Amino acid sequence: MNVIDLQNVETIYEGESIPVIYNINLTVKAGEFLAIIGPNGAGKTTLLETINGILPYTAGRGFVLEKEIPIYKTAIRKEIGYVIQNFEIDPLAPFLSKDIVMSGRAGKIGMFRFVSKEDWEIVWYSMGLVGMIDFAHRPIGRLSGGEFQKILLARALAQKPKLLLLDEPFSNLDFSTRRQIEKLLNRIHEKQQMTIVIVSHDLSFIPSRCSRVIVLDQGKIIMDGEKEKILTSTMIDNIFHKKGVNQ
Amino acid sequence: MIDIPLALLFTSILGAVLAGFVCSTMGVFVVRMNLSSIGYCMSHAAFAGAAFGLMISVDSLISAMVFSFGVAFVLGPLSEKARLESNVVIGFLFSVMIALAFVFLNFIPGQAASGAALRILWGSIFSVGYNDLMFLLLLSFVLIFFIALFYKELLAVMFHRKLAESAGVNTKLFYFAVLFFTGFSVSLSLRLVGGLLVFALIINPTSTAYQFFYDFKKIMIFSPVIGIVSCLIGFWLSLITDFPIGASIVIVSAALFAFAIIISPKRRKWNGKQRKMGFKLNT
Repeated sequence: MNVIDLQNVETIYEGESIPVIYNINLTVKAGEFLAIIGPNGAGKTTLLETINGILPYTAGRGFVLEKEIPIYKTAIRKEIGYVIQNFEIDPLAPFLSKDIVMSGRAGKIGMFRFVSKEDWEIVWYSMGLVGMIDFAHRPIGRLSGGEFQKILLARALAQKPKLLLLDEPFSNLDFSTRRQIEKLLNRIHEKQQMTIVIVSHDLSFIPSRCSRVIVLDQGKIIMDGEKEKILTSTMIDNIFHKKGVNQ
Repeated sequence: MIDIPLALLFTSILGAVLAGFVCSTMGVFVVRMNLSSIGYCMSHAAFAGAAFGLMISVDSLISAMVFSFGVAFVLGPLSEKARLESNVVIGFLFSVMIALAFVFLNFIPGQAASGAALRILWGSIFSVGYNDLMFLLLLSFVLIFFIALFYKELLAVMFHRKLAESAGVNTKLFYFAVLFFTGFSVSLSLRLVGGLLVFALIINPTSTAYQFFYDFKKIMIFSPVIGIVSCLIGFWLSLITDFPIGASIVIVSAALFAFAIIISPKRRKWNGKQRKMGFKLNT
C-alpha cells in the first residue's frame, strides 16, 4: 500500500504567484523510512505540510493512505503524527508534559468524546517509549530542548499514527541529544514498522534505519534513491557546499 | 455606605459573581491566544452597540450583543482572509467602534438617556436587571458545558494551533467559538462593569492565575475564582466608597495581579539545590 502518493503536486502560498514546491512526484510505501534533505528554503517544510493538508496544493493530485488529501484532510491528519520544526516555548507556559502528549490524541478521540482510561494508557506508553515517563508532571517550559523534542515525539506517537512526519527533529539540539533522538527513531521504526518521513538540512544526522533519501532543491525533487548512493554523490556535495549547509 | 434594598443587593451580588465568572473564564483563552486586545475591542463594540440602542430607543443589552457579535464575526475571518495579524484587525475595529460610540452618544436625546449612556461607560450596580442575570446564568452554564465537553480540543489549540490542526482538531471552529463567547461575556457584563473597563475583568484574573500555576486545568479553575473574588470585593468597595463599580472591580483585580507578580513562585529563580531535588512548583 502507498502511504503517500503525490502526482505532479505544486504548492503556492496564498497571495503569491511563485510555487514553493512544484512537479513533486513522490510515492512512499508502508513501513519505509525516508529522509528529505535539502538546503534551507528548498521547500522541505512546505512539502510536509502539503502532505498533511495544512497547506493546500495548487496543482496535481495527492493521496495519503489512499485518500485524496483535500477531501479527507481531517481524517488523514488523525493518522499522521507530526513533529513541528523546533519552536520557542514560553518558560512559564501553563502546560504539563503529560497534557501535551495527550493533546496529540485530541483529534483521534474525536469531538463530543471524553478522554478515557485507555487514552491515558496510550499516553503513558508513548512517554515510556521516549523515556520521558518521569517527566509527566513537569511543566513543558522547564524542559531542556532535547526533553521537549522527546515530548513532541511522544505526542505524535500517542496518536498511534500510520505515518510519522518529522520536521528537523535534530535542530537546536546538542550532539548527544541528537544521537539519543536518532536511536529513538531507529527503535520506533524497528519496533512498530511505522512509515517515517524525516526532514533535515543536516546530512550528518540521518538515522541508520533510513534507507531512502530524497533531495529537494529550489522547490523540486532533484534526487531520489538509496541513502548510500545519494549521500556519496558529487551533486550533493555541490548543493550543500554551495549553500553553506552543515555536512 | 449606600443603603440599598435587599432584593436589589442580591441581584447585584449575583450579577457581580456571574460577570466575574464568565469574563475571567474567557480570559484564560484570550490571554493564552495572545488576544488581550480583543477585550478592548469587544468591550468598545458592546459600548458602541449600547449607545446605538439608546439612540434608537432599543434595549441597550440587545444592541450591545449585536455589535459584539458583529465584531466577533468580522474579526476571525478578516484576520485570516486579509492575512493580517489579529492585533492589527483588533486595533482597526477598536478605533472604529470607539468613534461610532461617540457619534451615537452625541445623538442620544435627553439628559436621562445620557445618564444611561454614562452608566454603560462606567458600569452601575443598579443597572443589573433580572434579564441580565438570567442571560449571565445561562451563559455560565453554556461555558461550563462547552469547556467540559471540548477540554481536550481547547487544550490542544491553546498549546499550539498548528500542531492541534495537524492532529485533526478543527482549530478554526474553536478560535471562532472563543471570539463568540468573549463577545457574549462582554455584552452581558457591560452594564455592571462598564464598557471602558470590562476588558480588565477578562485579562487581570487570568494573568493573576498564570503567576501561580503550570497546570492549565488549575488556571481554568482559579481564574474564574479570582474573577469572582475581584467582583465581590470590588462590589463591596463600591458600596462603602461610592466609587463606580467598574472602577472598583478593576482596582481590586489589578491589585491582586500586582500582588501575584510580587509573590509569584513561577517568577522566582530555582536554585540548584531545588533543581537537584526535583522540586516542583505548583504542578
